[in-house]
Amino acid sequence: METRLLHIFRNTPLGREVLLQSTYFCKTIGVNPVIYLPEFIKFLMYFENDVAQIDLDGSYLIAPETAREHAVEIVRSQGLPEPNFIEPKNFTASTLPDIPVNFDFMCCPRTISDLSSKIGLGYIGPRVRRIVQSARFPVLIAGAVYKPWKSVAVMFGGSSNAVNAFRLGVRISRLSGLSMDVYTQLGKHSLDYYKDIIQKKNLGNEMDQYVRNWEVFDSGEFSANLYNVPHDALVVLGAYGHGVIKEMLFGSIMEKVQSVLPNNLLIVGPKYQAPM
Amino acid sequence: MFFRFDDRLLLISIGALVGSCSGLAALALNRGLIAMFELLGHYRHLWWAFIMPGIGAALSSLFLEKIIKEGAGHGVPEVVYSVSRYGGLMRFRSSFSRLISSCLTIGSGGSAGPEAPVVMSGAAIGSNIAQIFSLNDRQRVALVGCGTAGALAAIFNAPIAGLVFTIEVIIGEWSALNIVPIAVASVFGAQVCRLLQGNQIAFTHLQFNIDPAVTIACLGLAVATALISIMLTRALRLSHRVSHHIHLPVWLKAAIGGCAVGLIGFFLPDVLGEGYYSIQAMVEGTFSNGLLIVVLLVFAKILATSFTLGWGGSGGIFAPCLVIGSFTGLMYHRFIEILWPGVAWVNEGCFALLGMAGLISGILQAPLTGMFLIVEITGGYEVILPLILVSAISTTLCHSFEPASFYMKDLVEKGHFLRPRTDARVLADLSVSELVEKDCIVVPKDMKLGDFVKIMQKSHRNFFPVEDERSREFLGLIHLDDIREYLFDPLLYETVFLEQIMDTQVQTVGLDDDLSVILDRMDAAKLFSMPVVANNQFVGMISKATLLDKYRNELIVQTDH
Repeated sequence: METRLLHIFRNTPLGREVLLQSTYFCKTIGVNPVIYLPEFIKFLMYFENDVAQIDLDGSYLIAPETAREHAVEIVRSQGLPEPNFIEPKNFTASTLPDIPVNFDFMCCPRTISDLSSKIGLGYIGPRVRRIVQSARFPVLIAGAVYKPWKSVAVMFGGSSNAVNAFRLGVRISRLSGLSMDVYTQLGKHSLDYYKDIIQKKNLGNEMDQYVRNWEVFDSGEFSANLYNVPHDALVVLGAYGHGVIKEMLFGSIMEKVQSVLPNNLLIVGPKYQAPM
Repeated sequence: MFFRFDDRLLLISIGALVGSCSGLAALALNRGLIAMFELLGHYRHLWWAFIMPGIGAALSSLFLEKIIKEGAGHGVPEVVYSVSRYGGLMRFRSSFSRLISSCLTIGSGGSAGPEAPVVMSGAAIGSNIAQIFSLNDRQRVALVGCGTAGALAAIFNAPIAGLVFTIEVIIGEWSALNIVPIAVASVFGAQVCRLLQGNQIAFTHLQFNIDPAVTIACLGLAVATALISIMLTRALRLSHRVSHHIHLPVWLKAAIGGCAVGLIGFFLPDVLGEGYYSIQAMVEGTFSNGLLIVVLLVFAKILATSFTLGWGGSGGIFAPCLVIGSFTGLMYHRFIEILWPGVAWVNEGCFALLGMAGLISGILQAPLTGMFLIVEITGGYEVILPLILVSAISTTLCHSFEPASFYMKDLVEKGHFLRPRTDARVLADLSVSELVEKDCIVVPKDMKLGDFVKIMQKSHRNFFPVEDERSREFLGLIHLDDIREYLFDPLLYETVFLEQIMDTQVQTVGLDDDLSVILDRMDAAKLFSMPVVANNQFVGMISKATLLDKYRNELIVQTDH
């Protein structure tokens, strides 16, 4: 079945960079980009057990007359065919379209509701967090400047979301042919604990076959250790736990990673089911 | 095990919680409106008072658009849409937004009712509580119904009407799974209201003696209420259309509509606000204005309601319907008194009650809601016979002129009115990607016929999609029936290529197409299967046989309680 990535296009220089990241991701793993050119300042996404209203930053509606042309130009510049565009069919209110959620990936900048001046390390907007929390697809949080990635870096902390992130990393590595590294910060558990999780989840073969290097940090601050992650890697990681309290937080590892690494982040939320 | 806490008990327990919360929301709006009326009542006689509904409507519109950022709408259609399309998923902000906006609109004098806002609020409360408990779609829809019933039961102190309205208008499915928790929620909603503000009947009335003459006269009243219902429906739509074509900020349009209401209300104050004081006077038989004034009030209230709701104010049409219905009943009573002065007619309050039932039934096309609501809010069970007659005839006549009710028309036109167990609903719950058959052999355009014959022998299908080998672009389809004459001529095996004999004028479908549209296209072209194409690439085939199979499974899921 066709694999698709949803991209909300912003017709600005920042939007161009984000679409370039999206397109590079699509080209690298063989995904078709599907682009939504917003006509209204807000839209709804009905997930399985949640409905999220996305109130866009006003810059998403800039120069609508050239938006389509620019989007096609950017996608084609990466050697992909002309992308599909979403035309909303359903409207909850006359100015409130419902955007489908049956995608395999979605690409967002760090914020889509707040002013773009807020975009920076350590900040992920509330709407993007809501999407990550509710979506069945992983969310690609693109950096502010286009930068092709040359490897895949998976943050593995042993949680169920981290296991899903590992599976997704393997999938991306397999589809792209790029090497994959795994990073683990030892806390109260020894390395055997993490190895045991990998074995229990039947991921031993994948670990042997796809992982170039499993880097284990047994000392030092996690933030400082993140310096070892290549600058040109796509970082794959899980977000949120499954408990009531944990679901309200992004997770401490996630917060540290997103506030330290400027890389493209591919975030796996609690509702994601990893296909192998 | 002696006792099992099963899903139904869970739903009833949560339903009681939802009903109580919805009751509190209804009570909050009620208290808010009383406070607004008391606050602004001192200024109503001043010459500039006509701008008050304008200011209220503008503030209400600004609140919805700029602060809450929620699209406009009456409330009830949004709830039905969410139940039809998304298993009752609603935003949290909807649980309070309409309470505040309608308080501003109605409290300042706008001609609208608080019932639709509390319905939306209650439904959103139910939906969000269901989300907290991670309930499935069917359970969530039941809780949306619980919220609706609890809110309506509380605002009217009418638990049966709350239950009936929810099942008849919102859910559209009379099943035990829904009815029991909704009934419980309705009781809890009404009980919360009774605890906090007393067990009061909204409109007390005199004792009516219903004789056969009244029952016969009701036939005429039913026709009158049906006509007025149709008039109100069309006036509201016309008002929406006119306002839609005027390019001004929404808050300014709401302000203009509100000022127009204020001007009408300056001369005819009975059209302002929810209008329950006028209803009370009519039901008690103490409304003293003559026939011409009453006729004028009917049309003025229709106009005021159209300006309020059509131009961007927030509120519902329940209360205006009750007011217009009672005016219509009064008008009819005075008219027949003039025509047949010798007949000892029952008190005009009785006709006011019947008129309310006729209007509600006509505009909602929900006769049971009309009957039970009026019986409960007036405590007038003795008028039940003419009440049934008026409600039934009014609904039927309105349906003849307007096949969909005021609330549902837009949903019906856009294909969003999907009742459970209907063909449209089953199809809407399936997607093309679930039905794609992938066991087709894709062949390249430059394949020789001879090679194709060898491949054909291995396949059990009659269709073979053809693609460009390099770009994988879908080019057309080979159907064995179309090329049979070539297949039996071995001389052509080495000289004919597939691109020469393939059908390039193939109708295709996309992954996001609606199944109802696909079926219509198949029927129109007399096809049994069609290729599914995405990004110009062949994905698979969709066939009527697979569709029927999945359709049956989905129907079993929807009807299995």
